[in-house]
Amino acid sequence: MTNGPLIVQSDKTLLLEVDHPDATACRMAIAPFAELERSPEHMHTYRLTPLGLWNARAAGHDAESVVDALLRFSRYPVPHSLLVDVADTMDRYGRLQLLNDPAHGLVLRGLDRAVLIEVAKSKKVAGMLGAQLDPDTIAVHPSERGHLKQVLLKLGWPAEDLAGYVDGEAHEIALRQDGWQLRSYQREAVEHFQAGGSGVVVLPCGAGKTLVGAAAMAQVSATTLILVTNTVAGRQWRRELLARTTLTEDEIGEYSGERKEIRPVTIATYQVLTTRRGGAFPHLSVFEARDWGLIVYDEVHLLPAPMFRFTADLQARRRLGLTATLVREDGKEGDVFSLIGPKRYDAPWKDIESQGWIAPADCTEVRVSLTDEERMRYATAEPEEKYRVAATVHSKLPVIEALIERHAGEQVLVIGGYLDQLHEIGRFLTDRGTETPIVHGATTTKERERLFDAFRDGSLRTLILSKVGNFSIDLPEAAVAIQVSGTFGSRQEEAQRLGRVLRPKSDGRQAHFYSVVSRDTVDTDYAAHRQRFLAEQGYAYTIVDAADVLSPEPPGGA
Amino acid sequence: MTTEYAEHLRTLPDDDLGALLRLRPDLITPVPTDVTVLAARAQTRVSVARTLDTLDRFTLEILDGLRLTRDPDGHTTSLAAVVAMACAPAGGPEPARVAEAVGRLRARALVYGPDDALRLIPTVDEVCSPYLAGLGRPAAELDTAAESGGAVTALVGDPAKLRRTLLSAPPNARAVLDRLAEGPPVGTSTNRSEPVAWLLEHHLLVATADDSVELPRELGLLLRRDAGPLGQLHPEPPEVAAPPRPVASADRAGAGQAMSAVRHTEDLLEALHDEPAPVLRGGGLGVLPLRRLARAAGIGEPLAALLLETALAAGLLGELELGSETVFLPAAGYDLWRGTPLAQRWAVLAGAWLAMPRQPGLTGGRDEKDRPLTVLSPQLERAGMPAARRAVLTALAQLPPGTAPSADELLERLRWQAPRRLRGRAELHREALSEAAELGVTGSGALTGYGRRLLDVGHGDPDADPLGLRPEAELPPEQTPLVTALAALLPPPVDHVLVQADLTVVVPGPPESALAAELDLVADHESGGGASVYRVTAASLRRALDAGYAGADLHALFQRRSRTAVPQALTYLIDDVARTHGGLRAGAAQAYLRSDDEGLVSAALADRRLSALQLRRLAPTVLVTPFSSGRLVTALREAGYAPVPEDATGAAVLTRPKSRRAAPRAALEPQPDPLEAPGLTEPRLLGIVEEIRRGEARARAARRAPAEVRAAAGHPMSSLTAVQAHSQALAVLQQAVRDKAKVWVGYVDAHGANASRLVRPVSLGAGYLRAEDDRTQTLHTFALHRITAAAPAD
Repeated sequence: MTNGPLIVQSDKTLLLEVDHPDATACRMAIAPFAELERSPEHMHTYRLTPLGLWNARAAGHDAESVVDALLRFSRYPVPHSLLVDVADTMDRYGRLQLLNDPAHGLVLRGLDRAVLIEVAKSKKVAGMLGAQLDPDTIAVHPSERGHLKQVLLKLGWPAEDLAGYVDGEAHEIALRQDGWQLRSYQREAVEHFQAGGSGVVVLPCGAGKTLVGAAAMAQVSATTLILVTNTVAGRQWRRELLARTTLTEDEIGEYSGERKEIRPVTIATYQVLTTRRGGAFPHLSVFEARDWGLIVYDEVHLLPAPMFRFTADLQARRRLGLTATLVREDGKEGDVFSLIGPKRYDAPWKDIESQGWIAPADCTEVRVSLTDEERMRYATAEPEEKYRVAATVHSKLPVIEALIERHAGEQVLVIGGYLDQLHEIGRFLTDRGTETPIVHGATTTKERERLFDAFRDGSLRTLILSKVGNFSIDLPEAAVAIQVSGTFGSRQEEAQRLGRVLRPKSDGRQAHFYSVVSRDTVDTDYAAHRQRFLAEQGYAYTIVDAADVLSPEPPGGA
Repeated sequence: MTTEYAEHLRTLPDDDLGALLRLRPDLITPVPTDVTVLAARAQTRVSVARTLDTLDRFTLEILDGLRLTRDPDGHTTSLAAVVAMACAPAGGPEPARVAEAVGRLRARALVYGPDDALRLIPTVDEVCSPYLAGLGRPAAELDTAAESGGAVTALVGDPAKLRRTLLSAPPNARAVLDRLAEGPPVGTSTNRSEPVAWLLEHHLLVATADDSVELPRELGLLLRRDAGPLGQLHPEPPEVAAPPRPVASADRAGAGQAMSAVRHTEDLLEALHDEPAPVLRGGGLGVLPLRRLARAAGIGEPLAALLLETALAAGLLGELELGSETVFLPAAGYDLWRGTPLAQRWAVLAGAWLAMPRQPGLTGGRDEKDRPLTVLSPQLERAGMPAARRAVLTALAQLPPGTAPSADELLERLRWQAPRRLRGRAELHREALSEAAELGVTGSGALTGYGRRLLDVGHGDPDADPLGLRPEAELPPEQTPLVTALAALLPPPVDHVLVQADLTVVVPGPPESALAAELDLVADHESGGGASVYRVTAASLRRALDAGYAGADLHALFQRRSRTAVPQALTYLIDDVARTHGGLRAGAAQAYLRSDDEGLVSAALADRRLSALQLRRLAPTVLVTPFSSGRLVTALREAGYAPVPEDATGAAVLTRPKSRRAAPRAALEPQPDPLEAPGLTEPRLLGIVEEIRRGEARARAARRAPAEVRAAAGHPMSSLTAVQAHSQALAVLQQAVRDKAKVWVGYVDAHGANASRLVRPVSLGAGYLRAEDDRTQTLHTFALHRITAAAPAD
């Protein structure tokens, strides 16, 4: 019996004891094939999934090394059937290959004839395959490359895509590293992407995903289409590219609701691409507008479902996905794998934080006691109204004010989901002498830019954000975020909001993340669900009572 | 012949006779009365077949050699002859090996007589294949059978012509011949292909039926010039190619598998406890519940079927009638089992698995009537399964420790050890091997050290220690060699946990039973295996509070068990749940008493005449009583109050006085006189008469039969059980067929009546006895299962 740091569970999760002396070596050994699911303070949970094992196989690891890592670090005997299962699963990847045949174009080749026959007989691939060229090769309609990969993954025989990529229209792009350089993990991420050709890079918010994108563009040096969640995020990309690369204003175009420019580097929003008019997508022509050499997907986990369909037709172009988390609330992780590509790089938040690249955050939950009147209103509310009633109670207002006062002199963001409440907070704070504007969906882009600029240069100390705050907006100086209401405990939302304050500060200050919740209501339950995600990411929550925040004595909880 | 064999047995020294009985234990159930009976029984087909089943391939090959070397009329052969035949070809076995094999046959009394005049008991020919050593019948016999007019005999009688014909055979015809020469010598060809047609035409093959052909023995021997008349002999068991690996790695892999088998069994039974599954009408567990259980335990359905069957055999699972339906539930022994250490739990499962006469692998298939085979149903009963499991494990144990043969290699070895037993049962053995792997009896394909101990369980010799004085007989279940061997490989139980901020509780190893019980109550189990992960939720804490824990107890529990600081989130959660727990109170009361007048309510509560009602004050204006509202109202009225009863909606119930009545009764009606109508019709009277006459005839017939036949025919005066009497009857009949002697046969006729007859048996087979009745000159057919007794007529 060895005394390793790893415990293998029968449900194919792996528990890693963090404080064990061999923990680091073990993490390095299992990271390629196991997905980090939770990383609370003592025991990290990894999961063995077919996708994870195939990701590892795609990256060149074989079953033997996986089994060896499990046996070497496991504390207790590992069930034989699990090892057999791992080997079997990994063996399934690459039995089928998508190749470019000089004579016949795109073909599906089976290294195992039985698998090829099994797959070809499946009803799901009907219409995707062409003629059988020889016993091991079947022609594939080039238009079905993406769909076929999707279906093969579902059938459990993921194909290795070796058909290569078109180079696209060459365009000189280089990084301008004057006074800064790529961080080590960013460089690694780009290298892994370059080796694989297509794939997803997973980095936490604030870890500089934009730079990874820019570096990838410089590597490929071809015309690039960048897909982002909204216009503001697009402008940030533009600003960043202008500052960090040799690209000039004229070379970067914006394709959004307001402007329709096609330039060597074009930034388009998901929203405009998925706009439907009369049942058709009028803006799809963007994909054919140029011979793109690289397509960058920002925030892959938010990629709308129709985008998968478009992406299925773009399999011959290099694709880079950027995201903070592969967790999709709709469970379409498999489509990301087959259509954009396997995960190429992943670094846990806490590791990057300990390297000093993102600001350490201090998470606090402030529990507000309701007044009797509010309790009565909550008790008699309709079930579907309960969360709204609990989240928008007036008792939260003084707490928010006290928190802002506590962090006087720092940049504070107040983030909420209900517009009425946000307006109320704005009025409340403005009445108390602090000018506090609101940015929400109806705010014009121009006004938003003005407010964000004011916030960035420090002339505006406090800003209220509605759901637009969930998407990538770069406000690096925000050191304090106060969350007053959310979307029913969405884990993704929590990650995004925390990301707002995780950008590294110029003076290395501590970042603070507050959740103000109503005691003994569904608000607390949802908050518990959201913070579970953060606790799993290694952020311990402190819970304090509103009375401690409001009391004039020096605060004890924060 | 029979007497000669009996004489041989009679002259055996006591030791040899004892050895024979040890090798053929079926001869002594029941204990034979004398050597004649023993001899008759030793020659019965059942007994001979059972003995042949235990013999290895080489011994059977030598037995074929003995049959082949018998001289045509005297039925004797010699050791020298068979040694010469077996050892003649190059690469044949050592003569000593052949002598050993003959010794084995002799020890089992299948062969007797001196070395130069060996005799075989005739039953061997009845039981063994007619194609001895894979050779066809002699040409003369074939000619008679195929009515080919002696053409084949003529051909084989002329060696020069035979050789010429053989040499002129086209190559594809020669290939057919060579294949048939290797054995078996019979082939079927539905569409007479060209080579077969050529061979038939030249009388090298004989058509025995429309679509089958047979190679004459003489020609087969000629074609076997190089390999020898007996074909290729197999004096040694087949080798295993895989080199032995360290036993420790097999042990580790097996122990991991054993742990997960126990864990999965627990998961399955817990899932069954949460939602009991109904027993199907024909017995067994339905397809959908099995799927549900397998999903709940996170395993495949075949493994779930195996573990459920094992749990049933281990007494962990049972049926219970719940209301209108019967359901499967964890049995009472389950809780006891869960409390024992991991190794002991596994030992119980493994022991039950080894002994259960069931084949879980059939689950999901269909039987011969196309009905689905479901797990836990009677259709999965397979009597051969325990023997197959033991055979597989024993074969593994005979290999050097750590050897991991492939399933095919192992089956080949088993086939060599007992070819007759494995015939048609290869699948059974293959399944037993995969079951052993799933349960962790084997690890990485090799038998584990503790798996070897499993074979010893229940196989100690009880006579060696009749008083149970040896220390190992007294061992408690947790200290048997099997359990200690496995326990040394398993992680030691831990008594502490790690509590984390995401409210998970991790036990880094198998929990102590006390810790497991605590955690089961206060947290929900999330994942198991080497470690256990639990999650604390508001619901799980509420469950603990309901079970009697106070908030402070929960804090203390986590403080005591946790190796790390208890996170604040958990402290808050416990406080929150404990605070709201019991905020609402519910209870039972039969009736209430309410009034807007607080004073009046207090008066009723204080009234001593109402103390029998056990009134209790819930609120200033509400009292409750455990008695019915009717009694409450009556008592209040008697005490001089003026209450009005209310219904469930609070409306006043108004009543009027009602007269009391007894239960309704039916009035009597006139009936006819029972003595007036006798009801004896003519047909019924005739029936009774015939019944009497038949009884008379039966009595006359019975009087003639010997006492033991009559005794067996319904009068339990015999000392033998019905089964023993029946098998004895069969032995008598087989002997009578051989001796063409008359016997008394007692049987049960189609009407269920007992009868006996004096007949001369002609043949015995396919479940029927055919016999001549000398008196009526007719041939009778008796179903064997109807025969109750048989006795030779003197």
